[in-house]
Amino acid sequence: MAKLVSSPRPGVKRFIGVDFDFGALTNAGRQYWAFVTMLFIFAALGVTAWIIFLTQGPGVMAQRDDFTWGLWFSNYMYYVGLSAGGLVVYASVHLFGAEQFRPLSRLAVLQAGLLVMIALLGDITDLIRPWRTIWMLITPNLTSPFVYTGSAAAAYMVLCFFDLWVLITGKGGHKLAMRMTLIALPFAIYLHTTTAFVLALNKSRELWNTAVMVPIFLTSATASGVALLLICAYIMQHFGVFKFKRSMFRSLSTLLATVIILDLFLLVVEIITVYWPMSAKPGHTDRMSLFFTGPYAWMFLPVFVLGIGAFALLAGRKTRHLPKIQIAASIMYVVAIFFKRYTLMSMGFAIGPLGQYQPPYLPSLIEILFALGLLAIALIFMTIAAKILPLRVPEEELNGAHGPSPGETAPDSALEAG
Amino acid sequence: MNEEREPSHGDEPMTLPQGCTLSRRTFLSGVGATAGLLAAGVVPALVTALAQSAAGSEAGVAASNEAIEGIIEEDQALYYPDKPVYYADPAGKQKWAMVIDSKACVGCRRCVYACVKENNIGRDSGFTYIQVLEMESGRIELESAKLDYEEAGRPDRWYMPVQCMQCAEPPCVYGCPVKATWKEPDGIVVIDYNKCISCRNCMITCPYGARHFNWVRPEVPKEELNPDVPLEEKAFVVEKCTFCVHRTRHGKTTACVEACPVGARKFGDLNDPESEVSILLKTRRVWRLKEEYGTEPMIWYVG
Repeated sequence: MAKLVSSPRPGVKRFIGVDFDFGALTNAGRQYWAFVTMLFIFAALGVTAWIIFLTQGPGVMAQRDDFTWGLWFSNYMYYVGLSAGGLVVYASVHLFGAEQFRPLSRLAVLQAGLLVMIALLGDITDLIRPWRTIWMLITPNLTSPFVYTGSAAAAYMVLCFFDLWVLITGKGGHKLAMRMTLIALPFAIYLHTTTAFVLALNKSRELWNTAVMVPIFLTSATASGVALLLICAYIMQHFGVFKFKRSMFRSLSTLLATVIILDLFLLVVEIITVYWPMSAKPGHTDRMSLFFTGPYAWMFLPVFVLGIGAFALLAGRKTRHLPKIQIAASIMYVVAIFFKRYTLMSMGFAIGPLGQYQPPYLPSLIEILFALGLLAIALIFMTIAAKILPLRVPEEELNGAHGPSPGETAPDSALEAG
Repeated sequence: MNEEREPSHGDEPMTLPQGCTLSRRTFLSGVGATAGLLAAGVVPALVTALAQSAAGSEAGVAASNEAIEGIIEEDQALYYPDKPVYYADPAGKQKWAMVIDSKACVGCRRCVYACVKENNIGRDSGFTYIQVLEMESGRIELESAKLDYEEAGRPDRWYMPVQCMQCAEPPCVYGCPVKATWKEPDGIVVIDYNKCISCRNCMITCPYGARHFNWVRPEVPKEELNPDVPLEEKAFVVEKCTFCVHRTRHGKTTACVEACPVGARKFGDLNDPESEVSILLKTRRVWRLKEEYGTEPMIWYVG
């Protein structure tokens, strides 16, 4: 397998077999640095929020006794899910010979790794004594789904970054890349299954306690992950980091439309089971109704409006090949899944186990700053990586032919908007 | 506790409480609806009278524990680290259980207050171990139950106190990722406050809403502090009812049993065939909350 051949330009440093193009940072534009500075400000605010949390205790968060988990948990599900899409795309190159996705492979794996990283960091920001998590290693409780999803997320993160290294350096050749896929894809499924189990394996929470939670997690994860990858690819292309074929975006959006409709289908199936007269139980219908007509509707109805809207955009024969339509649909679904995660979390708390109604939870400023800070950290890594990491898959690897060595056309314009 | 376990009135253990119920209700009601209250009091009194006819056979029942052996068998230690939790003495040979007479309970919440005081529950922590639900007539439906009722002793309602059920199959113990909570050999589910990572998964898994998280440092007035119960360590971790482990392992009964003005709560050892709880389980038609969940609670309701 060919390695990325980088030009002997100043500023390129080779470390663990990867060419880090630090020189590209020096010719980055003003906009680029403005964006990076903004991200650092958000990251600093996040750290400040964390310090306030550590010194003043969890009382600074809007979570409460009856609303046990909050934004950190819905974000954990969200980010873990988003990272799946990357893996699916990357794996389909190797497993199903979907060659049109090959140019995306490095970007996809990087995105997956970074998202799992902030998912895990988000968990830590919820723990007032993070050092106690060492007990997870010393006395793990094998009947707790937390042990599985936590360890899976940590291992998956390592796997993603190692995979990225394999892809960039070409170490181990095609064979290792193929084997990595064989490990990574089942592992991604395992991670999302165990995350779904954190909700589904609770008989105490009526609306969570359904096996359909697992496939819903898998489809939501794939759909939102693919959508995010599509957005990311367009942004990267806009700033000249990549040059993709239009047919690749078309394949990506077809995949997206398919998974979106599967995702919505599973949700509808579950809702029918809740309300059908012969299966309706008051414990279920009382809770679910809050999400259709009650004070929780604002978070659930967007899932349908945005989801059906995104599918309609991608299904339209005349419009679906337009980049703007694809981007709009992708953004709609990435947002829809955020609401869906928030809804899924709230479904466990809207009516407590003793039948008592709880008003909706809205994160406090501290929690929002946490979340934004973490997002900023992931974006910092992504923005810097777009400059200095050889994310572009070399031409000769794509065609198997000898192409001109890429890499020297460092983009001048800055990255903007996440 | 020793007096509690004496089978002094073992042949008809609920008679005395019911008698109390009537007078206490009248006493507590204070304003209005006295006639209604009295009418409501007559019903339990009648039921008690009916029950008395069956009481003759109870003397025989007290001798043998065969009928509840299955229940005792189920109530085993789970994830027990072979030493008692740091704030309690080693467990004895008992299998602790509680029976609550929902017919007698007037919803006065005295058990709640006594429990808060006894267990050093932070006065600003915003929770209590015991939650008393005001139930609508004609149904055991939690969705229509009321927790924040203002008027106790209503004749057209009944009351159900809920607290940690010390389940034989505790979902919380299964759900804790670090084994910071376990079931001791006498059936009490305890939490190691110094190990809890505050993930709050046990609160998710509990079908009885019995576990509570200290979002703030628990604060207790110095003069009301109970030295037998931890306080500082409970900051930012989960806590719950322990069947007053610091009292019951010393032969005393729980604070809620002591505080109940109508004697609606009975606490005791299932291994002792003559304890009140054993006799009640063997002779009365008892039920458990969310029995269909298979959690095998160690708190029964009767009435």
